[in-house]
Amino acid sequence: MSAQAPKTSRLVALAGNPNVGKTSLFNLLTHSRHRVGNYAGVTVERLEGDVAAEFTPAVPITIVDLPGCYSLTTTSSDEAVAHDLLVGAAGRTAAAIVVVVDATNLSRNLYFVLQLRELGTPMVVALNMSDAARSLGMPADPDRLAAALGVPVVATSGRSGDGLPALVAAIAALPETCAPSLVAVPAGTDDTRHISAQVLAEALAALGGDDARSRWLVCTAVATAGEVPGATAAEQSALETLGPHRMGRAATALIALRYAEVDRVLGGVRGDDGGAARRDDDAPALAASDRIDAVLTHRLWGLLAFGLVMGLVFTAVFTGAQPFMDAIEAAMGWLSASIADALGPGLLTDLVTEGIIAGAGNVIVFVPQIAMLFLFLGMLEDTGYLARAAFLMDRLMSRLGLHGRAFIPLLSAYACAVPSILGTRAISSFKDRLVTILMIPYMSCSARLPIYSLVIGALFVTDADTVGANVQRAGILLGMYVLSTCSALAVGFVAKRTLLRSPTPPLVLELPPYRLPRLRNTALTVYDRTMDFVRNAGTIIVAMTIVLWALLSFPRDATGAGGEGPTDIGASYAGRAAQTLEPGLAPIGQDWRMGIGIIGSFAAREVLVGTLGLVYGMEAQDDDPVPLREAIRADVDPQTGAPRHTPLSGLALMVFFVYACQCMSTLAVTRRETGSWGWTVFMFVSMTSIAYLAALLVFQGGRALGFG
Amino acid sequence: MAAALDAHAVPGRDLAALTVGESARVVAVDGDGALVIRLGEMGFVAGTAVRLVKVAPLGDPLQFSLRGYHISLRRAEAARVRIA
Repeated sequence: MSAQAPKTSRLVALAGNPNVGKTSLFNLLTHSRHRVGNYAGVTVERLEGDVAAEFTPAVPITIVDLPGCYSLTTTSSDEAVAHDLLVGAAGRTAAAIVVVVDATNLSRNLYFVLQLRELGTPMVVALNMSDAARSLGMPADPDRLAAALGVPVVATSGRSGDGLPALVAAIAALPETCAPSLVAVPAGTDDTRHISAQVLAEALAALGGDDARSRWLVCTAVATAGEVPGATAAEQSALETLGPHRMGRAATALIALRYAEVDRVLGGVRGDDGGAARRDDDAPALAASDRIDAVLTHRLWGLLAFGLVMGLVFTAVFTGAQPFMDAIEAAMGWLSASIADALGPGLLTDLVTEGIIAGAGNVIVFVPQIAMLFLFLGMLEDTGYLARAAFLMDRLMSRLGLHGRAFIPLLSAYACAVPSILGTRAISSFKDRLVTILMIPYMSCSARLPIYSLVIGALFVTDADTVGANVQRAGILLGMYVLSTCSALAVGFVAKRTLLRSPTPPLVLELPPYRLPRLRNTALTVYDRTMDFVRNAGTIIVAMTIVLWALLSFPRDATGAGGEGPTDIGASYAGRAAQTLEPGLAPIGQDWRMGIGIIGSFAAREVLVGTLGLVYGMEAQDDDPVPLREAIRADVDPQTGAPRHTPLSGLALMVFFVYACQCMSTLAVTRRETGSWGWTVFMFVSMTSIAYLAALLVFQGGRALGFG
Repeated sequence: MAAALDAHAVPGRDLAALTVGESARVVAVDGDGALVIRLGEMGFVAGTAVRLVKVAPLGDPLQFSLRGYHISLRRAEAARVRIA
């Protein structure tokens, strides 16, 4: 978003636990002008930005925002990224660290500070939310904390921006280098803790001496059950010699020693402010949240409130985005018409209007839904409700083997798979994320509705507006939704136990205090994620739209594309392919006309309606499908006089569309989010195969039972 | 309160056995692998006081209070934390 950092700027890593206001500080320090940083081998994108001029930094400072994490021990990709950036394994090494801590929760936050202090990188502590800590009666004095920790501490507020100039000055004043400060491992073997300490000392010695690297290896080796990413052969063989049992004891001892040091530091900071009177399992910062949770995670009211919140999110994505989508479509239509008027009929006009502009429209039309979903996800995350949602739904999701965080992406998939797939980034395990991505396109999205209603209207129920007809219509529609939901759950269940087998991820989920959402942070996230979609998935979508246009328009002398009348798409390459494939379509009750519709609707499912209109020689756009319904109903085989389309073939077609991945945009975002064409092709091939088999089962089974 | 007093006499009690509002001190986290490290680094170390705050509406997971914050663990994970 802005120019590259000045060459001489100092790279400072912004670290901290989740939910400590790190993002607010980052946005304030950089004036929200950030770019995606370029780091070797870092799979999770990191944002970086330059400290704004208003803070008059003594030297130019570039800040890279590390993923929020509780520790550097590698248990997921987030810690791996943080660790790589801090130790220089990602090509560039942070020259200094700003670690943001929540002043209302020092007794857990300081653990990470002590771990970072071991690295020997110059460091400043940003004591955030110190105003909130004061009003809770647990003031934390920055000077005392600085004295106890041996590093500079600056009180900050991500809400008011207080303390930021002092923080920038403290960063600029940091020395070039600093000695690592390691929590001491006591000698001696006089009690059980010290025996473990001795095991720890031996393990550290075997790994090449007591330093941050050896300490990181001890914990990470236990967490990854042996194989440590990036460990040298010598380190790996030392780890194997030590064995899992001794490593486990050494790691536990190390963690306990660090927490003992946290308690010692805090004892010096709290002094006589009344902290001693407090029970040590109390959480004063959560006193207000407890009162809110009395309703929001209540056995009955909590579930009702959850239903309401989810209903709101769903309505926003499903219908709230609709006016914007209509406006985008209208604008694209107007643009196409204006260009067609200016250029006159011709192939170039068609390429521009039906290829390029339609393709751009296919991209932009998703923006309202993506923006809506991320706006709500961002606000729910900021308030702390997203963690409660996972707390409420984990029981259901863990039955499937997934994390509670997979619930919202799956729910929003009823509206549209594209934003839902983008929303799976909250799931930390890659395998589980992939399972969720594979499940999402099975959920019956809003683009399937026009197909259901066309088929139901044409082949099942007359247009009569009677109660009976409406009930029958609703019944068939509901059946499609039940089928799609059960199928998505079955796919998840099977994928989790076969291709993507992994244990159910443990739930170790902080329930942070409720806080007012920061609209500015959320708006930035919405902007970043939307632009990321437009830039990365957009290219693929435009390219595929042009290819589809060409398939439906060429050879030109046969179809008359670009001429005055409607294009005879039956004579196009896609039309010919459909006719060649007709022997394959007959067993599922479809003819070549539906075949073209299926090919054309790969652009987006609802395009089926417009494509079929062209097949039946209607110039009319897809606004009014009544004549189309009549044409489908009236279509008979000239030789036998039997109708070409029956309720049974209609049912087979609907079932086909429940399963088929007839959506290139879904494939484009799957490619983007999995980083792999392999999984994208797998999704398309498996869904299309299942769709064909299910339609075959319906049509042939129905015939065997005497229907149709 | 009687239950709480009895509990101290029973060896092998774990966090999943706490009643709502009851508090206990961590003895150790059993097993090996990532969970031991993650729970340890989240503050479940020997001697730490932990209180069961709430059970989720569907019966699992559980909400605990320790070290000035709240955390949610499933019963299966909580059962790995031995208490006294």
